[in-house]
Order: sequence, then structure tokens, then C-alpha cells
Amino acid sequence: MSNGIVAAPHTAPTGAPNTAPPKPWHARLRAKLDRRPELFTLFLLVCVCGIVGFINPNFFQVATLFDIARSSVVIGLFALGVFVILAAGGIDVSFTAIAALTMYSLTQFVATRFPSAPLAMIFAMAAIGGGLLGLVNGFLVHQLKAPSLIVTIGTQYLFRGFLLTFIGTIWILNLPEQMDNFGKLALINYTSARGAKVMLPMFFLALPAAALLTWFILNRTLMGRAIFATGGSLAVAERLGYNLRAVHFFIFSYTGALAGVAGLIHVCANRLANPFDIVGMEIDVIAAVVLGGARITGGTGTVTGTLLGVLLVVVINSVLIMAGVPSTWQRVVVGSFILVAGAFFVVRRRR
Amino acid sequence: MTMQSHRTAGAPASSEAPPFLEARGIHKRFGGVHALRGIDVVIERGRIYHLLGENGCGKSTLIKIISGAQPPDEGSITLEGKAHAALTPIESLAAGIETVYQDLSLIPNMTVAENVAISEQLVLGNGRLGRRLDRVLLRETARQALNAVDLPHNDDFLDTIVSELPLAMRQLVAIARAIATKAKLVIMDEPTTSLTRREVDNLVRVVGDLQRDRVAVLFVTHKLDECYRIGGEAIVFRDGQCVAQGPIRGYNKTQLGHLMTGKSIDGSRYRRGSPQAGTLLELKALGCSDHFKDVSLKVASGEVLGITGLMDSGRNELGLALAGVLAATGGTIEMAGKRVVLSQPTDAIAHGIGYVPEDRLAEGLFLDKPILVNMVALVLDQLRGRFGLLDRDKSRKLAEGLVQELQIATPDVDLPVQSLSGGNQQRVLIGRWLTIKPKLLLLHGPTVGVDVGSKDTIYKVIQALAEKGVALIVISDDLPELLQNCDRIVVMRNGRLAAEFTAESAQEEDLYDAMLGSAQETTA
Repeated sequence: MSNGIVAAPHTAPTGAPNTAPPKPWHARLRAKLDRRPELFTLFLLVCVCGIVGFINPNFFQVATLFDIARSSVVIGLFALGVFVILAAGGIDVSFTAIAALTMYSLTQFVATRFPSAPLAMIFAMAAIGGGLLGLVNGFLVHQLKAPSLIVTIGTQYLFRGFLLTFIGTIWILNLPEQMDNFGKLALINYTSARGAKVMLPMFFLALPAAALLTWFILNRTLMGRAIFATGGSLAVAERLGYNLRAVHFFIFSYTGALAGVAGLIHVCANRLANPFDIVGMEIDVIAAVVLGGARITGGTGTVTGTLLGVLLVVVINSVLIMAGVPSTWQRVVVGSFILVAGAFFVVRRRR
Repeated sequence: MTMQSHRTAGAPASSEAPPFLEARGIHKRFGGVHALRGIDVVIERGRIYHLLGENGCGKSTLIKIISGAQPPDEGSITLEGKAHAALTPIESLAAGIETVYQDLSLIPNMTVAENVAISEQLVLGNGRLGRRLDRVLLRETARQALNAVDLPHNDDFLDTIVSELPLAMRQLVAIARAIATKAKLVIMDEPTTSLTRREVDNLVRVVGDLQRDRVAVLFVTHKLDECYRIGGEAIVFRDGQCVAQGPIRGYNKTQLGHLMTGKSIDGSRYRRGSPQAGTLLELKALGCSDHFKDVSLKVASGEVLGITGLMDSGRNELGLALAGVLAATGGTIEMAGKRVVLSQPTDAIAHGIGYVPEDRLAEGLFLDKPILVNMVALVLDQLRGRFGLLDRDKSRKLAEGLVQELQIATPDVDLPVQSLSGGNQQRVLIGRWLTIKPKLLLLHGPTVGVDVGSKDTIYKVIQALAEKGVALIVISDDLPELLQNCDRIVVMRNGRLAAEFTAESAQEEDLYDAMLGSAQETTA
């Protein structure tokens, strides 16, 4: 930089040697939050936990932790998928219908036709089945050049209608044995001081595994960069030679596959397959992703932020009651947080 | 029409190898617009070319075809002896063609390093996305390229998100991307619009380095001074055709200006009348952030004032400020001696100022709606009938009257606007503004994309309005148009009024000189 063309106007990472005069604390905080909006999510999460714990000290115990972890798995898998699509500038509301269709037809298939199927195979079938349904979304979004919101509203109805019309409407209470056992399989057993037994189920591992895989794809492969490029500017990405068809096909099938697995875990965890389940969770999931710092307009967000957003929504949904807040208030709290976060991120952009 | 003989840029006798790029008989049409009409261009390695021409002459279209963004309708592109009917972006990149687009085409949410160096990896994988991102290679390539254009190349800068950079730096990042890979041809579309003098010097040095590495460089620019400094071959386009090609130093500025603009088919003036006495609009030292400043102007009723200048001269923004789209940040606007504030379009309308935008498709017309609906859109209040509903008869009468007045060729005002030709669409838009009985009408590029016959009608409409006492401001690139229609023409450059001409006696070349400025010492 011989000619000394203007110094980089980077928002200075704290502690870096910088000749600029020290900024006031709020400006530094602002800059930090600019870079890592998920810190705001973390802040909200700590606040909620602190307040609930202050009112009801029972909050701080292993049982609560396990409970939160357990409840985060399905919504977390959904959220990772939605985040990938959001990063590419799209949106998906059909993933719950994909999950419901996959989990119910798969359970029925295993129960009636193939009771000896190994668990790994069932999971593979869930991922492939969900992925293929997602591919339908990807194909329609790319081919019709239609907004993904419209396409996935359509396919949500389609998938769900197909499930209830052609597959079945009755609950399957007698799960295949291997699925039933998997739901009960413990990763950690813990006996509290007062003798209560709590366990963290094995299926919890699906969430960190999926998070790692998603992180790897987004940050360490060209596909990941193409996804963010598409979310940043579709027209420019196309001009620079990114294969948009591959991006669209990939993101929707990936989300579909995650949804298929999430649906299967939902069945194993609840030990019943209810075809009316799951659909209706979309808004919770999208709320979690947006609370995690991903912009609805695409191109931003992180896996960590998404996981924090999921934790925030799960904590509000499952433990606010411990602070004596009536369950009807949960929605009020989630809604206010979304508005606060939304306002925060808008102000950030207008600066 | 002065037609120079087409001298292809053949290298001296030594060239047995085929040229790097050879485009033959390229045609491209967009709807009714014939943007390229049989273009032949030859590009040799290690040479520098300047593609010159007025806005809308087909320069950008040719670049899009060479870089694979759009296929040609006819013709072929031969790259190092291999013929293609059309290129894809990846094919073009793989062949070593890099483009710095006028809009820069950076991905705003990604880092500097990614923007500069990721194309290399896309090309390595032939466009396949299922590959590991090589982060070491990414940073190394980015560092070298940033170094070459004299940008910082420390880790902090590599990880800066591009949208956080000021425009001049983004322009340099876009240039760094173009030279990051071993390019054989670098195309630069208006690469210096936001650079300061020092950064331009730097760019000239970069181009010298490229030439030494046997890279061809194709500039698209209006800044003739920079072309002369860099040297090389000039290729001049006019109306989608190549009208001259040869060493740039073989032409002087006046000749180039003449080649670019051409002679109008009929140079006779439409303007017959003269302005009324007194002043309708007066601008006193008007300014608008960094778009323009210190603009003082007077316009009388019945006067036709032309405003021209390069794209970045501030003329567009001046028009928008008068239309209330951009709020002025300094100075005052007076209408008939009274100070007015135009902070939104409705303010301008309330003061009788109409604005017909350049891009009538995006900014003006509801294409799929009937002509009638488009025409009455501004005066719905006055057409209210019983129960607050639109009075169908009144609005039909109004629309039909305007269709007749403006000679719009349509059998029925209920047909959608998109059924009309470009010239007729433009007249619908003018008609809409006539419904507010404007005192001042701003026309931005009134004949862009309009055929010769329609131009004639639009000019007659302009003159008829002036006769009725409407003040008109015409903002245009089309210099003959201004000379034929205006009383006075002002030229803007670098956000200021640079010169004023009496249209009757002015020469096109003088206007062009004033637009470009004789010596482009930067004001920064």
C-alpha cells in the first residue's frame, strides 16, 4: 500500500492496534454487534435465563438443561434448513409438511412392510425421502422463477393434502421396535441429588451433527459461498457464473432431508406417529432463525446465531412457565423479541 | 454519415497465430430495439482498445455478449481460433476474459477476499459447486491482486465485507478481481467514474503492467483524456454499428466527438417561438449532497432549456431534485418569485412541476393497465363522481382528448399501454402530466429508444407546449435533439454548471468538449 490509498474503514476489532482515536464504548459495541448480530441473541438468551432463574432458582439444574436440549432437536434441525434457504435469499414454509409426510409414510412402511429394517436404513430413507420432496420445491422455484414463499405455500398444502388423503389419518401408536427403542436410548443418565432420574436422549446428537455439517457446507465449500452469493445478489451471482440451478436444487433438498430426519426423530421421541402433527411449527422456526440474526432478505446469518435463536425460542416456550408466566404469554414474549430484534437489525442497516 | 473504412486491428505481419478474440457479424435485438447491427471486432493480445460511443450505442451490449452474460442473436465469437455461437459466463472466464462492470458486480455481503478470488476456484472446478473451498489459495490470490492495484492486503482488509467499503475502493476491488486470475482480456466498463486523480494514475500503471504481460485491455469510457493518456486503439460505435477503428492518437477530440454523435438526418430546428418575458423558475446555488452544487439557473415560461452532461455529471440528480424525488441540501428554488420546498414528488406536482422519467418502463407506466388508467393517474381527485367513485365518462373524455392532441396511434383508450410502440408509450406518459396543467415540465431522455418518426411527433409536442407557455427542461444525451429543440443548453460537469450555449448558434462539438472538459484536473 505504497501510495497509502485510504486506510481500510473496517469496523475495528477490539484490541487491534489502530491509529484512529478510541471510540466511545457504545460505538465499539455497535461495531461489534454489526459484525456479530448473534451476540444480541445471546444477550436476550442470558437475560431470559437470568430472570427466570432469579424468580425460580429451580431453573438452574441439570433436568432443565436436558429438557431444553431435548426440545431443541426437532426445531433446531428445521431451523438449520430454513437458515440455509434464507442465506440464499429464499424462504421455505413447506418443510413441516415434508417432515410430516416423510415421518408418517415411513413409519407406516416400516411397521407394515419392512419391520426388520435397520435403524440406519430408516434414517437414510427419511433423509432421501425428505430430500426428494425438497427437490420438488427447488425445481419449481428454479423453473418457474417464482418467489419461493408462494411455491412452498403451495407445496405445503400439496404435501399435507397428499398425506391425509392417500397415506392415512390415524395415529400409529405401535411403533416399530427399533424406532421405539431409539427414542428411549440414553446418551447421558443423570440422577439428581434428590434422586430424580433424568436422561439426555441419544437422538440429541443429531442436532450438533447437523449443525457441524451445515457449518462445513456453508463455510468450507464452494456451494456454501455460492449460497451466500445468491442471497447477496442473484443477478450478480448469475453474471459471475454461479450455477443457480445447482444452488436452488441443493438448498431445498438439503432442507427437505433435514426435515425428513427431524420428522423421524419427532416420531421416535414421542413414540407415536400423528399425521396431524408438526405442521404449524413453521412460524416458530422462522422466528428462531430471524432471532438468530439472519436477515429475511438473505445473504447473512451464521449457524451459531441460528442455534442461539433456536435456544431462545425453546427456552421461552418451555421454561417461562417456571417463572410463573402463563403459557399464553409465551407468544407475547416471542413476538416482542422478534420486533425488538427486527428493529435492532433495521437500525443497524440504516446507519 | 461519415463511414471510415473498417481497418481491423491486425497486428503487424508477424501474426500467424489467430487473434485472441474475433467477433463477426454480431446482431442483438431487445424487443423492437436493434442494439447491435452487425458488429465486427478483433482483439489481439497485449493491445489496448477504447470502445467509444454515446450512451445507448450498443457498447454495453457487446460487452455482455463477450463476457457471456447474454447470447447474440446472430454472429459468432472466435476465441483463439475456436468458434462459439454464444459464450456462458464460465466459458468466458475460463478463456481468460475478465470484466469490470459499470455496476461493479460485487457481491455486497461477501468479503473482499471472496469477491476478488473466488472466481478462480469456480473456473478450476469448471463451475461445479460440490468442491472444497481452498481458503489458502483464496487469500493468496486475493493478496496478490490487491497488491497489484495498491489496495491494502492485510487480513483485516481481506475479511472486510464489501458493502462497508467506500465506492472508490469497491471500484478498485472490482479491478483487482479482474486481474486476480491469469486474464488474457480485461474489459473495463467506465472504470474511473468514481476514482480520484491519484487512483486513476494508479490504474494507468496497472494497465501498463497488464500490457507487458500480453493481456489485452478493452476500455469503455467517455473520458477521452484518459484514453489519450493510455493510448491504443479506438473503436467507435454509433447506433449499434462500428463507424471507425484506428489508433486513438490518430483522431483529435473533435473528430471523435463527431464520429460518436454522427450527423443528424435533418438538422433543421423545431424551435420557432421564443420564451416569454420574466422568470418562472429560479435556482439559486442549489446543491444536493455530493451529486451537484452551486447550480444557479433561470427558466422563463414558454422557454425550452436543455441540460446535458455525462452520466455522473449530476444532471440526472438535478432533474430528480426538481421533481421532488431527491431533496436538495443547499440553495433555494423559486417558482414565480416565491420560494418553494420540493421534498417529495407531491410537492412538485402541487407547484405545477411534472417529471417524465427516462426509464418509462420502470418509473412511469403501468404497462399492463389501459391507456386511460395510465393517463388519469395523477388527477383521480378531480375525476371523482358520485359516491367518490371514478367518473368513467369524464375520465374517458379526458383521455381521448389527450390521445388526439398527442396523436397517439391507438384505436381504443382501453387497450393496455404495452400494446403501443415506444414513442406512443412516451406520449402517454407526457399526456399524463398534461392533465395537471403543468407550468414546468421536465423531460428526461424524451426520445430514448424511440424511432425517428415518433421523435418528430414528440418534438412537435414539446414545441406546442412551449407555445402554450409551459416551461420545459429537457435532460438528454442526444445533442442534436437539444440543438433542434431548445432556446438555451447548459452543460453540467462534475456536479456543476460548466457552460451555457445559445442553441441556435451552438455546435455539437462544442457541447461535447464542454461535457468532457478540456483538462480533467480533478476537483477533489
